[in-house]
Amino acid sequence: MAKKLMKGSEAIAEAAIRNGCRFFFGYPITPQTEIPEYFSERMFEEEVHGCFLQAESEIAAINMVYGAASTGVRAMTSSSSPGISLKQEGISSLCAAELPCLIFNIMRGGPGIGSIQAGQGDYFQAVKGGGHGDYNMITFAPSSVQETINCIGQAFPLAEKYRMPVMICADGIIAQMMEPVELPEMQPYEVDPAEKPWAATGWDPKNPVGERANVTSLYVETEQLDVLSARLQGRYAIIRETEPQWEAYNMENAEIVVTAFGTIARIAKSVIDELKDEGINVGMLRPITIWPFPYDAVREAATQPGVKAVLDVEMNAGQMLEDVKLAINGAQNVDFFGHCGSHLPTVDEIREKILSMREE
Amino acid sequence: MKRFIILMGNYGSGKTELAMHFALMAPNPAKTLVIDLDMVNTYFRLSDRKKLFADAGIRLITPNFASSHVEMLTVPAEIAAAFALDWDLVVIDLGGDAGAAALGQYKPKLLQAQREGADIQLYNVVNTNRPMAGTPAKLIRLMGDMERKARWNVTGFINNTNMSYETTAEDLESGYEIIKQAAEETGLPVAYTSGKTDVLDAFLAGEHDPKYVGQPLYLEKRMHRDWDTLTKEGV
Repeated sequence: MAKKLMKGSEAIAEAAIRNGCRFFFGYPITPQTEIPEYFSERMFEEEVHGCFLQAESEIAAINMVYGAASTGVRAMTSSSSPGISLKQEGISSLCAAELPCLIFNIMRGGPGIGSIQAGQGDYFQAVKGGGHGDYNMITFAPSSVQETINCIGQAFPLAEKYRMPVMICADGIIAQMMEPVELPEMQPYEVDPAEKPWAATGWDPKNPVGERANVTSLYVETEQLDVLSARLQGRYAIIRETEPQWEAYNMENAEIVVTAFGTIARIAKSVIDELKDEGINVGMLRPITIWPFPYDAVREAATQPGVKAVLDVEMNAGQMLEDVKLAINGAQNVDFFGHCGSHLPTVDEIREKILSMREE
Repeated sequence: MKRFIILMGNYGSGKTELAMHFALMAPNPAKTLVIDLDMVNTYFRLSDRKKLFADAGIRLITPNFASSHVEMLTVPAEIAAAFALDWDLVVIDLGGDAGAAALGQYKPKLLQAQREGADIQLYNVVNTNRPMAGTPAKLIRLMGDMERKARWNVTGFINNTNMSYETTAEDLESGYEIIKQAAEETGLPVAYTSGKTDVLDAFLAGEHDPKYVGQPLYLEKRMHRDWDTLTKEGV
């Protein structure tokens, strides 16, 4: 298929549609308003024939996703940091009700209302449970518009396989920038009740087929809640084992390894390329899934022979840093460089930091 | 004679890059005014390149709060300077698609300027690699919509078809074919074909009806994303 030049937000909406998403519920917020804007037209075109609904609030939108997902359809919502905070109760409920769906967080600067420029301060919120209870969701952190499209392609099947919401955390720059992209072909999605026996697809009391679907996150009895918890935790253990994704870059003969995710990883790549031309080998290990976090890959990269230190770079005060340190578990020196939300670290700053580490 | 170059077009067509080109190539910087009238975008805008204009001695008018952390931009009163003062060239960079509406309120002023002899060009900057401008019919529809919002009619096309850092002469070629049809249908001229030197030269080496090429405009990339300037792939 021919490449198109698309804005991240447009590409996100179009890719979701082409992967069978027919239900979008959301509420506008910069820097991702173009996602609902795109859906608001495209969903009503004949070849799509889906549902776009601008909810009265973020909370309403996530609960509409809960309702749609309960019927087995591919549903999605998107927002930016403060809006994602509002959705947390719904996200926790979706996890407990084991409902597959896609949630986009186009991260901006925080805390609070923060700023409208790109941020990465929602790492903890996404992977350590922004809502209550023992839950996790597969969380992607793409670093280009094309990779975001590819993550969407994986998101719905993974959400359905593990019966859980999947989150994609991209920063404002991904949603706002234009890049050449290749989109997948249109793949219509039909709910198959045999594949999704849990889905509330309609039950005729006079002519009952199968069990009556009961979607809930309420478990009053301790024993029942224990059964749910054991099922969820068992699933999470499998995901931790099998689903981590990462990219290793320029790891051959690396003396320093950079860990970074999203757009910041691209800035770090620029530095790595520049230093390589000067004969300095710096590698990078970039988690593509931030939950499950690629602990093994990070540890292996950090302790590869010849590596003297690890530099974690983020656009926050050092959140993924904690997972990097857990992965390495004291086996390597770990340093950090970053700015808090909406202040992009520059190529020069990262370069200077790496060079100063070499002198130590 | 006062000259207005107003750039309108689909999101991602390259209006800002062209606005910078027209302004920075102007022979008399002291008599050149650039107006960032993009009231839509909060990222990747003309005002991000303030310093380039300051260094060139060109006055830049920016919406209030542009490139800050506030998402509601407001139109600055300072824009009146475009009509009140004596300029050789006024370049106006509009926002994409519906952003054309920002021009609408200046219709009486533009009409008056026209009566006083000003040359006013409203160019439709076209990148046929953008999904909404991918066929002659789509781009004519989009243009009609933007014209209504801008309350001014387009005076010519600019073929700026590109694929960001992956642009080749083939992109300009496919833009040429689509814009040619749109030009025939609307009767509007193609004023310019623009691109980076190597791409534009490769395109110009081919066979074309000069009527649908217009003047070649050799662009430098000024709206690059700072963080990628050092990667091999550019941007």
